Amino acid sequence: MLDLQDILKTFNPGTANEVRALRGVTLTLERGSFLIIIGTNGSGKSTLLNAVAGTFRVDSGSITLAGQDITGQPEHRRARLIGRVFQNPFSGTAPNMSIAENLALAARRGQPRGLGWALDHKLRQQIRDRIRSLNMGLEDRIDNAIGTLSGGQRQALTLLMASWLKPDLLLLDEHTAALDPKSADQVIRLTHEIIQRDQLTTLMVTHSMQQAVHLGDRIVMMHRGQVLHDLRGAERTRVRQEDLLNRFDAVRRREQLDSGVADLLQSNYV
Amino acid sequence: MTLLIGAATIGLVLALLALGVYLSFRIFNFPDITADGSITLGAAVASILLVHHWSPLVATLAGFVAGVVAGTLTGVLHTKFKINGLLSGILVMTALYSVNLHVMGKSNIPLLNESTLANQAESLATRLLGGGKSEFLLAGWTVGVRDAALLIGVLLVVLAVGLALYLFFQTNLGTAMRAAGDNPQMVCALGVSVDFIVILGLALSNGLIALSGALLAQYQGFADVQMGIGIVVWGLASVIIGEALVGTKKIGVLITGAVMGSVLFRLLVAIALRWGLNPNDLKLITAAFVFAALVTPAALRKLRLASKPAAT
Repeated sequence: MLDLQDILKTFNPGTANEVRALRGVTLTLERGSFLIIIGTNGSGKSTLLNAVAGTFRVDSGSITLAGQDITGQPEHRRARLIGRVFQNPFSGTAPNMSIAENLALAARRGQPRGLGWALDHKLRQQIRDRIRSLNMGLEDRIDNAIGTLSGGQRQALTLLMASWLKPDLLLLDEHTAALDPKSADQVIRLTHEIIQRDQLTTLMVTHSMQQAVHLGDRIVMMHRGQVLHDLRGAERTRVRQEDLLNRFDAVRRREQLDSGVADLLQSNYV
Repeated sequence: MTLLIGAATIGLVLALLALGVYLSFRIFNFPDITADGSITLGAAVASILLVHHWSPLVATLAGFVAGVVAGTLTGVLHTKFKINGLLSGILVMTALYSVNLHVMGKSNIPLLNESTLANQAESLATRLLGGGKSEFLLAGWTVGVRDAALLIGVLLVVLAVGLALYLFFQTNLGTAMRAAGDNPQMVCALGVSVDFIVILGLALSNGLIALSGALLAQYQGFADVQMGIGIVVWGLASVIIGEALVGTKKIGVLITGAVMGSVLFRLLVAIALRWGLNPNDLKLITAAFVFAALVTPAALRKLRLASKPAAT
């Protein structure tokens, strides 16, 4: 379904701020699978998600989604295949527009937009019905500006928008990281429901080990722009939160060792 | 009375300018200086066609189209060549000054002897009133037929344009345009090319501004290459007054507000001039007014915060 081949990306090449964000990532995702990406800060997990979404062009490598090579396509062209929820609840919705208008925009994701009415009676009814299923009491407020809602409510609506037209790929970028624990739980439950119901192929980045072990059917751990571990099948089923934390510790120890060894070499030979 | 009707008519003509400025400045948060050039461009194109005896309607529409081209240019400079928005506007505005001179062939075109929309409205009104009267009584006031005809004609045009704009903002394309100003990242993720939308928005905005210029030239009876200087600030003043008048964020109300703001602003200017304000000071006072209108809300908020006891 999604096929990443040897993706390389360096930001600010040739300057003091050069960051080699992705150093050869190869990853294949089957239809309907739900992949969780974890990793240390700066490991490139969000960058990988943005590479798939098309926020920037990759330096080399290829991205194939639903049988189409999308490597060279700009972000808005890929949008017909991809639904996205951002980390920042403010990113996914237009604050000064109504709930209904936001959803109407999402209802035409990736389709040409002409001079037809954005909201007709039928669509309004559908919007009300789907919003009612969120159980947030928002169905009577669909003409209110989205900016008046809480972060959790906005994230739930963004999720609804991203999945309104069943996307070939759903991208979730730490979409609960900015929410309070209760809202985060609610959004995670909704995420689970929607992905189960529509059998969506999903790529989710998270900081939460709890989410990593309870959601999804495969865990990828990234470090320094590369895939370090890829847990699937039986290995994935067995994995506990402690195991993941241990792997993080191992990475950290190796990191310290590396810098220690470098210092040693430097003092001895330079 | 003639003074008031005249001020209201110019206010309505410039309401089209206000709508254009509203579109670029408020919807996209794009300070589009192209307006200074495109209002003159609209006037220049319409006037030169009128001098060559084209139909006034076609000449006016041609002015609109010329503005669309100018706006597209600014949009392309900004989106495709990544030039700062303010600078793209300045570049196109500066270039338009020469273009306008070329279009007009000289710095001023009088339209007094040409058939214009203004003359057509007047003759239509005279025919409707039946007879050669040049003025009539309305509730005790003497009203010139020409003045009344122009006011009503311009009012109809502004109503039509305002309604069209309102309806446009309810379409798929129009909602995408509003969203592009509100949250570009989101509309991009929903499959809309923000670049395309910005170009389209600026084209539409400058089209409206040029239309305003085309009508203004026909109303005042001449086109002048200097007529656009500082006009974007006038538009902005109208938009800000309109927002203060209506005080909501509903799109239909804001469009009405921009029109009302433009008329009110023009009336205020007319009254101030009548009271002896030096016309040379007009632009200074307008600029000072816009400055005040832009900073007052924030200053008030600060004052209100400061007056509250500090929470511990």
